[in-house]
Amino acid sequence: MKWSMNWMLFRRSLAAGEFRTLLLALTIAIAALSSVGSITERVQHLLLGQANETLGADLVLRSDHEIAAPLSNAAQVQGLRVAKTATFPSMVGVHPQASAPVAGEMPAAASSISAETEPAALTLASVKAVSGLYPLRGDLRLQDGSRISAPQAGQALIDQRLQSMLGIEVGAILDVGLLQLRVVGILGQEPDAAFDFSSLQPRLMMNDADLAASGLLGFGSRVKYRLMLAGDALALAEWRLQATPQLERGQKLESVSDARPELKDALDRASRFLKLAALLAACLAAVAMILAARRFALRHYDMVALLRTFGATRRQVQQILLAQLALVAAMAALLGGVLGWLAQSALVALLKSSLPASLPAGSSIPWLLASVLGVVLLIGCAGPMLMALAQTPPLRVLRREIEPSTRVGVQWLVTAVLMLGLLYWIANDIQLALMVGTGVVLALALAGGLGLLLLRGLQRILPGATVKIALRQLQRQRVLVAAQLGALSLGLMGIALLTVVQSDLLSAWQRQIPAHAPNHFAINIQPEQASAVAQQFSQQGLAAPTLLPMIRGRWLALNQQPVEPERYGEARAQRLAEREFNLSVAPSAVSEQGKIVAGQPLQANIPAWSVEEGLAKTLGIAVGDTLTFDVGGIPISAPVANLRQVAWESFQVNFFVMGSASLLQAQTGSWISSFYLPPNQTQWIASWVRAMPNITVIDVGQVLNEVQRVITLASSVLRLVLILCVLAGLTVLIAALDTTESERRREAAIMRALGATSKRLAAVWWVESLLLGAVAGLIAGVCASVLGWCLATQLLNIPMALNLLLPLYTILLGMFLAALTVWRRLRVFAQTTPMVLLKD
Amino acid sequence: MQQLTKTVASGKSTLTILHDLSLSVAHGASLAIVGSSGSGKSTLLGLLAGLDVASSGEIYLAGNALSGLSEDGRALLRAKTAGFVFQSFQLLPDLTALENVMLPLELSDRVDARHLAEQWLTKVGLSERMQHTPRQLSGGEQQRVALARAFAPGPAILFADEPTGSLDSATGLVIADLLFTLNREAGTTLVLVTHDETLAARCQSQLRLAAGRVVSQQGLAA
Repeated sequence: MKWSMNWMLFRRSLAAGEFRTLLLALTIAIAALSSVGSITERVQHLLLGQANETLGADLVLRSDHEIAAPLSNAAQVQGLRVAKTATFPSMVGVHPQASAPVAGEMPAAASSISAETEPAALTLASVKAVSGLYPLRGDLRLQDGSRISAPQAGQALIDQRLQSMLGIEVGAILDVGLLQLRVVGILGQEPDAAFDFSSLQPRLMMNDADLAASGLLGFGSRVKYRLMLAGDALALAEWRLQATPQLERGQKLESVSDARPELKDALDRASRFLKLAALLAACLAAVAMILAARRFALRHYDMVALLRTFGATRRQVQQILLAQLALVAAMAALLGGVLGWLAQSALVALLKSSLPASLPAGSSIPWLLASVLGVVLLIGCAGPMLMALAQTPPLRVLRREIEPSTRVGVQWLVTAVLMLGLLYWIANDIQLALMVGTGVVLALALAGGLGLLLLRGLQRILPGATVKIALRQLQRQRVLVAAQLGALSLGLMGIALLTVVQSDLLSAWQRQIPAHAPNHFAINIQPEQASAVAQQFSQQGLAAPTLLPMIRGRWLALNQQPVEPERYGEARAQRLAEREFNLSVAPSAVSEQGKIVAGQPLQANIPAWSVEEGLAKTLGIAVGDTLTFDVGGIPISAPVANLRQVAWESFQVNFFVMGSASLLQAQTGSWISSFYLPPNQTQWIASWVRAMPNITVIDVGQVLNEVQRVITLASSVLRLVLILCVLAGLTVLIAALDTTESERRREAAIMRALGATSKRLAAVWWVESLLLGAVAGLIAGVCASVLGWCLATQLLNIPMALNLLLPLYTILLGMFLAALTVWRRLRVFAQTTPMVLLKD
Repeated sequence: MQQLTKTVASGKSTLTILHDLSLSVAHGASLAIVGSSGSGKSTLLGLLAGLDVASSGEIYLAGNALSGLSEDGRALLRAKTAGFVFQSFQLLPDLTALENVMLPLELSDRVDARHLAEQWLTKVGLSERMQHTPRQLSGGEQQRVALARAFAPGPAILFADEPTGSLDSATGLVIADLLFTLNREAGTTLVLVTHDETLAARCQSQLRLAAGRVVSQQGLAA
């Protein structure tokens, strides 16, 4: 078979509008899938990039002993950028003689250093020796925000805490082991600081060329070495493959996914959710495609019969039809790709101000994936119908009543299996895939059925001949009308629900937060600083904050059985079981212990634990179980007295596990506090921290802003997808109208022959479409209001009133969308005259 | 064909549409199958062309026994040997006249499809209308396109089902003239179904059917 013939048939069918709906529906599906794919990929790249910055590299080899040179040499051979760090605690002091020679500098240069520097006591610092390229990702910045490269030989960078402790300025000379280093700047930002265990100590950063001369790395030094790598992903993977078998005891490789599993999980979950939403658009588009394919098949029986009469084999006919489908798919992939790209670009441009940083450019992979998904969808929806079409017997050229047997059941089965396969691919969870699939089918059926009932009810109430005719028309094609109602209302419901959740629910939630909820956390307060902290607060006219002890403890055993994190199936449970817990002492007043959902309140004199309900469920802990924690090397056991609910949104300090006073009173730890600071008093924090440099203050407001930005981004992407869902619903409307077009044309001709004016006909079509849109809008609005209300009051316990105006908006939107199709029909039927009847 | 019978199931009973028919048409000869509506002429044409299968008996098309062939085998045989003209023209509405004629040629992978199609359209007097779609052509013109399409692949046998049935008498006459002229020039065997006695008379032999049985035959060797 010649390709030119396939192209010719495709071109002609396209020009005749045979593929219009199929193309439109598939384009929308591909646009939805590719735009979501692209935007999640871009955000993922951004966040992973940021996470890489916090790692300071793409890949890090951590080691408790010096890393052998061959490993770093191999990385350099593979074109990777390499940096090294060695971190260890050391005493640091101000050099008493300003004129002493400075490592790496000529004595003459050192003589310019001020001789007035007061000698200060030695202090313990976390010294970090870095190589010249450090950091490979992210920036080293001074306090004023300016970027700075790694210190050179003879130089040191110190953080503000060390500066405060030593009382020195830039230019001072410090004694570091046998060396003297000149302070060249005060560090403001160190990208990988979060990954340093010793980051609680003040920092001094020096060049690793000075290490040997410092004499600090003697036997028994507690040095943590890191080999940092960055560069091409393939080269990194290759190096990783080579290096893994060479790793020695005490050496560990870390990339972002190893180091931040929770970030990777959160990203995966968000992108999966958005892709499922995009698949909803694809599901709706699939309904349109099935209708369009059915129409295509009906209109092409004659062509296939003719081809078979001319001697085309079934295989040849199948090839022709498949080629047509392939061309439709190629065109839709192109159009969908462009539309998806435009949509996500427009979205990113709109959200520019609220995005955390400029998003990296996307790749073509999401588009390719979306196109593959689109092709699968097309094959699933149109394939069986077209394959049945290929069975058209040639005898039809003589007997027009002969039609191929279209096995509708098989068609739907193939479509359902393929859709489920797609859902499974995206959800990566068969249960979730089944739930979403069944949910969509049920929602479609429910909305469709409800819509039909409403229309029947309206037939009894609404007066007027035109309305009656219109309603009768809608009642005749029940399955088609139900499909239209279902698809349109599902799309509208998505948009409406998002509106409820985003605006109503968020504002209801915000109303829940007390006006003066704490907006700052202070951590790492030493027990002896408690009274000084209270004094600082009272000097500012603020009430003394509540201080709660925070004791680090590793979970050892549950009912005397050692905890084995790998036995938990869930990744979150594994992580929780593995990590160190922050334990605290429960307040003695029962009313301050939180809402107890099981068991009895803690009593100060009886050793017992209180566990947060959600954590208990995840880790399988019940009231009466005995928990053992390792606190500072001492195992502490007690039974669980109660499970409690924690109001995380209260912004008070909350703990997963709290012990009674008698259980934890002997344990030492730091203290934590949360407090409200009026916006005009935040300046004070800087002076407070300067006075007590070990304390870290976290501004919750900033964290909330970050959260808000993420919500804005996610909901904007979701909104885009839902708009595409509505468009997909609209294509179902168009496809259903196309299906009945020839019947409608004939009916119009009969009505015209019987004396109906064109005005009357137009009025019938208007009423019919507007009623359809209104009913779909009503269902969508009411369902979204009720669902939103249930979500708020039942699931999230936020009091919220039903939004009664929402159905009004959705009715108007539904009517507007349906009206768009009337315009199309009016154009098609405008030329219809009773002559059609004679010609037929 | 030999002892051809066609029955169809009708509810619980069986309906015999064609009863034990036998005849042969020589290469290059023309045969008219005539009879009133429901006499079985279209069924016979469908069987002869291999569009349908007989309940019993055998048909040889260009020397090939059809009963031993599968649906696709018969299709391939049609592609090589048969051409068709229908009462309702059966042109594809979205294709131009030229593309309609090219269609069977392309199906047979003919490299000169376009050239041949143009030649045949010129031969039927439509050189100016090649790029027109069926909607833009009159009934007579549409049947000319159908004739060009039927003859272009050079079939050994042409099956025509009421070729003038949808045309007025004047146009029908013109089309019939064209059909017989082209048939003569190409040396094609012609099997024509019609209820038009004048048209039937132009064929070398006639087979008259009534209720699925041969009631008379002229110029045919049984």
